Amino acid sequence: MSFKMALMGATAAMALASTAQADVLFWSTQAKPVEETQAMRDQVLAGAGQKVDYQANDGGPWLTRLQAEIEAGKGTIGVLGALHGDFSALKAEELVDLSSVDLGGVKVNATFAKLAKLGTDGQPYLPWMQASYIMAANKKALAYLPAGADINALSYDQLIEWTANVEKETGEKKFGFPAGPDGLKHRFFQGYLYPSYTNGVVRSFKSDAAVTAWEKFKELWSHTNPGATNYNFMQEQLLSEEVWIAFDHSSRLANAFNEKPDEFVAFPAPAGPTGRGFMPVIAGIAIPKTAPDMEASKALIAYMMKPETQIATLRATNFFPVIDVALPDDLPPSVKAAGDAIAKMSGAPDANPGLLPAGLGDQGGAFSKVYSDTFERIVLAGQDIRTVLDDEGAILNGIMQKTGAKCWAPDAPSEGACPVE
Amino acid sequence: MTASPINTAQVRKSGRFLFQASVVLLCAWVLVPIYFLLINTLSSPETVASFPKPFWPEFDLGSLSFFANFAGMLKALKNSIIVASLTMVMAIAFGAPAGYALSRFDFRGKETFRVLILLTRAFPLPLLALPLAVLFIRTGLDDTLFGLALVHTTLAIPFAVLITFSLFSGIPIELEEAAWTLGCTRFTAFTKVVLPLIAPGIAASAIFAFVISWNEVFAAAVLTIENRTLTAFLLQSLGTSPLHLKFAGGFILVVPALVFIFAVRKYLFAMWGIANR
Repeated sequence: MSFKMALMGATAAMALASTAQADVLFWSTQAKPVEETQAMRDQVLAGAGQKVDYQANDGGPWLTRLQAEIEAGKGTIGVLGALHGDFSALKAEELVDLSSVDLGGVKVNATFAKLAKLGTDGQPYLPWMQASYIMAANKKALAYLPAGADINALSYDQLIEWTANVEKETGEKKFGFPAGPDGLKHRFFQGYLYPSYTNGVVRSFKSDAAVTAWEKFKELWSHTNPGATNYNFMQEQLLSEEVWIAFDHSSRLANAFNEKPDEFVAFPAPAGPTGRGFMPVIAGIAIPKTAPDMEASKALIAYMMKPETQIATLRATNFFPVIDVALPDDLPPSVKAAGDAIAKMSGAPDANPGLLPAGLGDQGGAFSKVYSDTFERIVLAGQDIRTVLDDEGAILNGIMQKTGAKCWAPDAPSEGACPVE
Repeated sequence: MTASPINTAQVRKSGRFLFQASVVLLCAWVLVPIYFLLINTLSSPETVASFPKPFWPEFDLGSLSFFANFAGMLKALKNSIIVASLTMVMAIAFGAPAGYALSRFDFRGKETFRVLILLTRAFPLPLLALPLAVLFIRTGLDDTLFGLALVHTTLAIPFAVLITFSLFSGIPIELEEAAWTLGCTRFTAFTKVVLPLIAPGIAASAIFAFVISWNEVFAAAVLTIENRTLTAFLLQSLGTSPLHLKFAGGFILVVPALVFIFAVRKYLFAMWGIANR
């Protein structure tokens, strides 16, 4: 039986292998959840004027496949989609310079476009879409807000008091934080906690202010649901009411707002002594040198940057446009909620926006690991804060020296590699 | 000393109770998670997120119909079956002769050979995938099911060799010798005497090969683009999908493998020497 099956299989395999594919392969790490992939295919790419095969992957296979094609000098990938960090780990000369692509007068956000130059004169990738991290809460939690606290201008102290109130009244720890293996906890430390308490990320890594920041975070952790080390996408725990108040990536909260728009509110991240730290997330699109049909790939890039496509992408993925475009009124609840919260966050008088790490190259992962490790040692293992910061600070300094990456906001600019002070 | 019959009866009774309890526990160990997978697959998103879970499914087909409309599902399922079947056949075609040789012949480097076979599992696939992919692109094997089956065969061969080795070792050489004296050649003795005896075992190791191929993600994700297997197609996306789709996707991944194993279950028992029950 199995032999016959295998024979059939072998014939089928040969037949399948020989069919040529003319679709443009969009090889992406974004819009990975199945319904987002579906929406990208049906709502965004269906109108591209050519057949596009959108495939979303984990970072590992994404990079391995790309490297293999570049090394073999022959490829099937037409267009790449990934986060800024993924692109900065590549060599710029492996990507086609996109500065000559005609975008039809679309104005791309200048800060992001500059970041996307990856330190070259060309444009190895183009910004594609952006998001940020925000807070979300179940409306039931609002009753426990500390007296006089404004949810749109919370401080970390007020957040801690709020979560403590909730715990006291309900008997349950209802704060949620994505500390799971796939959670984005390191971004909270890099873009939110550190800037809010130390006005820096690298320079101030082991400062006294950083010790205070970690003490505060430990206090917040004591009111955090102990299951948090398994949380990756806070929308799940918000929907199941395991937690009432949570911090996460706006697209990882989207389902909560879309499924029960009347039960949740989105609001800006809290502020610390040095302002309201927050950080953008930038995804980009690029063409690898080995793209089989360069013209088709460039046409797809131009299509992705069109205002209508950017709006469609927003609906599909909850990532916001990176170009100048007016948002329509009929957006899904998640987009409205996140958009409002981000606008309030960036428009706050004490806003302290940070940039994404730049110039780290393939050390981006190691850089983030320093922050995750610090969290694990201080908060989960309960080690002495000063000792841990000194240890991990030395590792961080090593990474900065090795890559020679200059300081980025909110750290003060540096001449050479950004030092850990 | 008085032997008390009550005690013996009691001991026997509690022994039986213990036995039955263990059987129930072991079955529950396997069945309860699968049952919950089924319930959650057939529930609406709201029910999936709620707690406590209902014990009866509400037959909401929303999550499953999402996957029915998800482009490429059926093709991926077909690809998975083809790759796993190819892997199964090739792993046995290469593994069984190696197992026979290891059990029947003494040759130089036999021990080293055995270790070497195991060593093929010592290197993680993410490490091997890059050079493999480069090689495949250059030779044109890239994005073919046959190429992927080759990689999966490499993963499955160590198990095929070791299982068939122990199977062959369990068949006395005297049986073969008797066949030789009665006019069989080495080959006919093998096909007429040994093969029927170990066929169930061979089938069992084939099942292993099938399951190994079915579950493999990384190589499948890197080495195929248009011709993805179901696991490569779904597993990467499921981890980041909402809960109800995770359950439905998990269900879709588990069921074909379950059906397959159920269909060939009697061969599986042969592995532990309780053939054909």
